[in-house]
Amino acid sequence: MFTLIKKEIEDHIAYFIGAAVLSAILIALLISAMYQPEPRDMPVFIGLSIPVIVILIVGFPAMGSTQMYTDRTRKISTLLSTLPVSRRQILCARIITGILAILTLLLPLTITMVILFPLFTPPIQMYLGLVWEIFAAAFLMAFACYCLGLLTGWNSSKIIPTLGGLVLTSILLPLIFVKGFGLHTVVILLLFIIASLMRTWHTFMSTSL
Amino acid sequence: MKSLIHYPVKVFATGFVVLTLLSIPLFWFRFWCQTSLVVRMPSEARDVSITPSGLVPPELENDPNVVNRSRVSARMIVGPFFLGIADYFLARFPGGRHSNIYYYDKKDEDWMYFDEETGQIVCRYTGVQRMPDKTILKKKVQLYVGPEGISESPGKNLGRFTSPVVSISLWLTLYDKKLRRFFYFDLDERTVVKGPQLPKDDTHKPIDIGILRKGYEFESLNWSPPQVRASEEDIKERRSSSYELPPIVRRYYRYPSGQYLLVLDESGRIDLLDRETLEFAGTAGWLPAPKTFFPSKEVVTPKDLLSYDVLPLALDTDQKYRGMFAVSVSREGTAMALAVFDEKGVQIKTEHTKLRKYRGRSADVDSSKAVFFEAPWAPVSTIGIYLAENLHPLLLSLVSYFTADSFEAAAGHRALFILPNSFVAMKGRDVSENTAERIITALLLMLPSIILAILLAWRVNIDATTVGLSENARLCWMIGTIAFGLTAYITYRLTRPKITLVTCQNCGNLRRPDMNRCHRCGSKWHIPELTPPAWRVLGRSEQVYEGLPAEEAEAE
Amino acid sequence: MSDNVVIIEDLVKYFDGRCVLDGINLKVPRGYIYGLLGRNGSGKTTIIRILLGLEPPTRGRTFLLDAESTNLSAKVHGRIGYVAEGHNLIQNYKVSRLIKLCKDLSRQWNDEFFNHLIETFRLPMDRRVRQLSIGMRAQLNLSLAMAIDPELLILDDPTLGLDTVARRQFLELAIDIIQQQGRTILFCSHILSDVERIADRIGILAGGKLVVDCPLEELKKRVRKLRVIFPESAPANLYMTEIINQQNQGREMIITVANWNQQKQTVLETFKPSSCTEIPMSLEDIFIECTKPSTVPVTDE
Repeated sequence: MFTLIKKEIEDHIAYFIGAAVLSAILIALLISAMYQPEPRDMPVFIGLSIPVIVILIVGFPAMGSTQMYTDRTRKISTLLSTLPVSRRQILCARIITGILAILTLLLPLTITMVILFPLFTPPIQMYLGLVWEIFAAAFLMAFACYCLGLLTGWNSSKIIPTLGGLVLTSILLPLIFVKGFGLHTVVILLLFIIASLMRTWHTFMSTSL
Repeated sequence: MKSLIHYPVKVFATGFVVLTLLSIPLFWFRFWCQTSLVVRMPSEARDVSITPSGLVPPELENDPNVVNRSRVSARMIVGPFFLGIADYFLARFPGGRHSNIYYYDKKDEDWMYFDEETGQIVCRYTGVQRMPDKTILKKKVQLYVGPEGISESPGKNLGRFTSPVVSISLWLTLYDKKLRRFFYFDLDERTVVKGPQLPKDDTHKPIDIGILRKGYEFESLNWSPPQVRASEEDIKERRSSSYELPPIVRRYYRYPSGQYLLVLDESGRIDLLDRETLEFAGTAGWLPAPKTFFPSKEVVTPKDLLSYDVLPLALDTDQKYRGMFAVSVSREGTAMALAVFDEKGVQIKTEHTKLRKYRGRSADVDSSKAVFFEAPWAPVSTIGIYLAENLHPLLLSLVSYFTADSFEAAAGHRALFILPNSFVAMKGRDVSENTAERIITALLLMLPSIILAILLAWRVNIDATTVGLSENARLCWMIGTIAFGLTAYITYRLTRPKITLVTCQNCGNLRRPDMNRCHRCGSKWHIPELTPPAWRVLGRSEQVYEGLPAEEAEAE
Repeated sequence: MSDNVVIIEDLVKYFDGRCVLDGINLKVPRGYIYGLLGRNGSGKTTIIRILLGLEPPTRGRTFLLDAESTNLSAKVHGRIGYVAEGHNLIQNYKVSRLIKLCKDLSRQWNDEFFNHLIETFRLPMDRRVRQLSIGMRAQLNLSLAMAIDPELLILDDPTLGLDTVARRQFLELAIDIIQQQGRTILFCSHILSDVERIADRIGILAGGKLVVDCPLEELKKRVRKLRVIFPESAPANLYMTEIINQQNQGREMIITVANWNQQKQTVLETFKPSSCTEIPMSLEDIFIECTKPSTVPVTDE
């Protein structure tokens, strides 16, 4: 399994590098926003963050889509299936790689926020719970978008993986605006992730390679 | 390669994905239509006022010098309902309903919050100390408040609160749900006054104390005292041309002295709490019920209302409680009720938002009805909402009917799957008809949805027969499509067996190649396009005839 | 452990409504070299893909090493070496990276043997797979399949693209493998001379059916091509079953018959032929006779 995960990471290293770079950009923005003297020019920082966030959210379904599309067109799983590897292991390795990419982006950012907030907020627990809730919801949303990429990527046509993932992500993403970052969103996203992974699982396990 | 997931699990998984992805665009469409409806709501349908207010003593109200009588008015502020993300942050920032921080002043670094770990309230403020040389020394004071006392350091001896309901003011009053009693803390004197413990079966269930307000963004309540003509001496002294008898109520943290505190109960009743004894001293009134699209219950709870505000009245001269004004906005945000209660808690006046019967109208129209039909383009938005609700799964619409009251009002505007603000749900809250009439009307409201569901179920059945699904599977799909409508139909199309059907040589219908016999006529396979030779050279003692296994060849 | 490494039961496969395999039954015993033959599009590769679990069957079941093909575990995969038609390898990988991947994923790896193969074939390590010639890809594929010391080797046209010398080397390797106890090879090839050299048992696909499934020597005995000369013109109908092909030209008749036996001999003698000589056939001749369109009407006995 470790070999498969390593293979997936090496094959899609661009996404990890992108995630790391974007995480660094967001951390830099956050630190400069925190250290900026009052009054802080928040609209500028928010304005800079938005295109970055949009890129991230489009990036994860693209990663899922790319993983499945390149597998199908280059028949990677066909080769791997003839080695001592089961389809289950191939798909699990792929999903774990996606999770690692998401964590590469979100975890450093969250840890930075957890470290910085006590330095800039009063010694009362104002925002710490908020940070973890937002992290959980953001992680689940990114993972759900990634799962949409996995769902639409297993297609020989180029259009469906590209546009399909984009359209479905643009439908799903506003769920955060509708429901916020709280428990409702977490529950809906968890169920959505489980359902879409089951569907992907079934498609991958029963398709011809 | 064998799939670990069975067909039903695959169907449910796909169904949930489809339901979520379909519900979100429908939500936005309904949201857009609802927002356009409330924004276009006629201005006159948003205001309500009562004059004279009824609480000012007659000698003041009827003074010959009075130019304008006392007046209480309220306005429904319409705009886009708060989406979840805004509500999430507002609720969690200091003062929000999910925040343990009751007060926070960034500039002075003063705060008041409930520390769940210690179970105590922590108050930090800037205290003033007079020095012997009459200078004033400002110093930061941090106090820990528990049921047993107040101290500058936390300690178990102070006791712990479990789930406090707090009134923010300098004279801190709170109610603890687990301890079932009221507490009053004087931070200056550092004293704790405990009220009597309520019995376990007591009907009182306080949820708010002091300033009773929710959803301030949806309404504004104003009271103005009688305005008196200025005397000549007043003019000479360049005082303002009118003077007011200031009310006792303040909206901010300073809550001047008064005999009672208002306590809002879970049932919608507003009680009076004696400040000194911390005992209930009677009923002040209740939250008035707005007139909704379908007449709903006359007693509303705070959960049923999108917004409410309560304004008690006392005169500066004697600080005596005179009564209160209460305004509430319906959960749909389209109707408002304003009520006046006297000091005994008797409702003396009520007004509801409506469009008046002049301007070509034969009768007054309640605002909850006017919003759907009276403004330009309103009927278009109304039809849009109605159609969007009918695209929703039939089963979930029925669940909305039965669970209409379960949702908190603001949360209903962010609902994805169950729609507590739909026409069907509103019908579920209708109290003017009996159960049977209500259900029949609700079904009529869902008629397009029912017709669509039946049509789709019929199509699914035809396709399932062609594809060769078993009778049980077809029945399940039909029931599922009737229950979930468009969602189920899309799910069926995504999960139906993807097999290219082959023409049966016996009956001429399309049959499934993965079945041993034709699911229509039961015949075996005959493949005319394949022409294998009749001979075989097989490494067995008996020859096998074409199409027959060895045992049958022996019989031949 | 059963005696049969490969079991196929009533296998039917449709592609987009077109039947390719119509009830294939096949067993490959352990320790045999089984040559599966057929014309282009007869379903050889389809059978192999279904066996390996790469393709779902429409009907029927298949088993490899006592495990059902639709549920092959990683462990079973580790006991099978597979050379695919077209040599499906990850094209953008370097040879060294691909080798490392296969080595890391394999449960057993014969490094010494593999290195010997790489040296023999002189494969460049630093080149990408897509930059290799077809022959080199075939050699790499073969090497990877053999390096895991497989219990079952499945080869789908393995010598496609190989030069004569490389083909001979491969055949010798295959014989080496088979001489190890318990090893089995299932392979498809269009170069029938190679098949004839090494196969123990032959299967021929035609019309969606397995029309031949027997040891090679037995096949040669049971399929006879005869040249019969009659005193007058050759009869149109010999009233004989299992005629594969029949060509009449005046008094001469050239007839290919399956399952030649005494009974058929007797039937022929009733027509009092002037002479009857057997035309020896190689495997290639037999294959052509079995798979070319027949003009003989089918008669029931």
